[in-house]
Amino acid sequence: MDEFFQNNGFLIVVMVQQTLLAMSLYYPLMAGQLSLASPGFYALGGYVAAIIGTVEYFSPWRDALGWGVFPLEWLIAGVMSALLAVIVGIPALRLKGIYLALATIAFVEIVRVTCLNLDITGGAIGIFGVPQLFESRWAYIWIFGPLLAVMLYFSYRLERSRVGRAFKAIREDELAADAMGINTTRYKVLSFVIGAVLAGIVGAMSAPFLNTWNARQGTFDASIAYLAYVLIGGGRSIWGPLLGGALLSALPEVLRPLKDSRLIINGLVLVFASIYLPQGLAGALGRLKLVFRRGSRPSGGGA
Amino acid sequence: MNIILEARQLCRNFGGLKAVHNVSFNVAEGEIFGLIGPNGAGKTTLFNLMTGLTPVSGGTLSFRGKTLTGLPPFRIAEKGIGRTFQNIRLFKGLTALDNIRVARHIRTSAGLLSSVLCTRASRNEEQQVEEKAWEILKLVGLAERGMELAANFSYGEQRRLEIGRALALDPEVLLLDEPAAGMNSAEKHSLTDFIREVRDRFNLTVLLIEHHVPLVMNLCDRIAVLNFGELIAMGAPAEVQKNPAVIEAYLGAE
Ligand SMILES: Nc1ncnc2c1ncn2[C@@H]1O[C@H](COP(=O)(O)OP(=O)(O)O)[C@@H](O)[C@H]1O
Ligand SMILES: [Mg+2]
Repeated sequence: MDEFFQNNGFLIVVMVQQTLLAMSLYYPLMAGQLSLASPGFYALGGYVAAIIGTVEYFSPWRDALGWGVFPLEWLIAGVMSALLAVIVGIPALRLKGIYLALATIAFVEIVRVTCLNLDITGGAIGIFGVPQLFESRWAYIWIFGPLLAVMLYFSYRLERSRVGRAFKAIREDELAADAMGINTTRYKVLSFVIGAVLAGIVGAMSAPFLNTWNARQGTFDASIAYLAYVLIGGGRSIWGPLLGGALLSALPEVLRPLKDSRLIINGLVLVFASIYLPQGLAGALGRLKLVFRRGSRPSGGGA
Repeated sequence: MNIILEARQLCRNFGGLKAVHNVSFNVAEGEIFGLIGPNGAGKTTLFNLMTGLTPVSGGTLSFRGKTLTGLPPFRIAEKGIGRTFQNIRLFKGLTALDNIRVARHIRTSAGLLSSVLCTRASRNEEQQVEEKAWEILKLVGLAERGMELAANFSYGEQRRLEIGRALALDPEVLLLDEPAAGMNSAEKHSLTDFIREVRDRFNLTVLLIEHHVPLVMNLCDRIAVLNFGELIAMGAPAEVQKNPAVIEAYLGAE
């Protein structure tokens, strides 16, 4: 058992981390908004942690707080992501569908180029020697795992709440939601902020995990990867990004023995999934569950 | 009689088309006010102006003396104006129960934090919302099917669910855009009684767009007739029915 974790620990932590990032796309999607901005907030969060962890100015904080500086980094990353999300979200969320997706990709690119050119973010070289929270990579499961649990509980409650219903009403029919008294701008921005805060916190946890942070973290490629997680897993419930994130982030590793052809297989999986699983894996499993229930009970009706 | 709604010289142009032109009328509290006219006369556009979904090109609209023009739709809903849509706009991917629950939004206050932390106040509120939603589903005759997706409902059921959703806003004014369209004659018949019943029970003022002439004549206290965006007649059903301009524009054309 120990040996298994020694060998696969890194992969498992990466799977959880990628799952969390896939989930960060889910909240705007719940309100019908296809936002690919997560890598931008992920990058921001990582820089926050890397800067607080390495810059001389913050050394009194580090000395005073000890390991407590890490939760403080998460908090600051979350707050900064929320502020930036409000500033970016209010104008961007006036756009619909693919135009919003493009605008959020542009945002990711702007964050990347800005960080590439600032001194405080280490320019093209980035920031090295970010202090570690744990000695082994595998141990990072003790922060990413609880965050995943918290987000699952959060999502569970959100789905059944007044705010969550407002999100879903906007997704189903924005105009009708407006006519039913829902401040659509406000709730769209809120959904965007939730996704941004999650991505920012994951970034802040990832900088110590990766030990280094630079402009290659949180790029356009990542936007597409997270989109694939959600497409394959399904965007109608939190289980979609959970499944998609976990499976797809493991896929390249699992296929590693196939060398270069693994990219082809990766692509084929994407193509077939989008053709045969329009609601994603979670949607397909949901239908399967429904079929079984119908089979075992005389008449439908639901719980 | 108290005036609850007042439209003054309402106008709406789409490019060169005058979809609504200089329309003025008052609606009294408790009235069932019919709006008829041929297809394309501007009836739906008038509802869209009244609910803020389409901005006015000119004129004003007031509700209990307060102006509505310029307010976004959700503010108008908050003030107490609920509506249905000619081309049904339910939240199709949500259950019937959730469709109704969404409309309780403006009557509740739970925020993100209190819901996620599951505070006592938010739990109580959720319970009240649920009870109210079932009550309304019962009222529109869909209580047995509350957990089904709205998309699975028949046309007539969707129309009833949409009325239920509007009622869940606790509105003072209810705007119904062709509620009988697509219903069979039995359903149409019970709709007449149903509209009267909810008007009495919730002290509503009802504005009704309808093509089905017997239903309108039967139900409405007053009728306004639109033709090419202009108001050509207004009055009691019997009067309007005899008006030559109306016969030519609308009833004659049938
Ligand atoms: N959004 C719009 N853009 C352009 N023209 C519109 C729009 N909405 C309605 N119209 C036009 O305005 C006129 C009135 O439409 P409408 O109010 O739907 O009529 P009614 O409900 O009486 O059948 C029609 O000629 C219609 O084509
Ligand atoms: Mg119409």
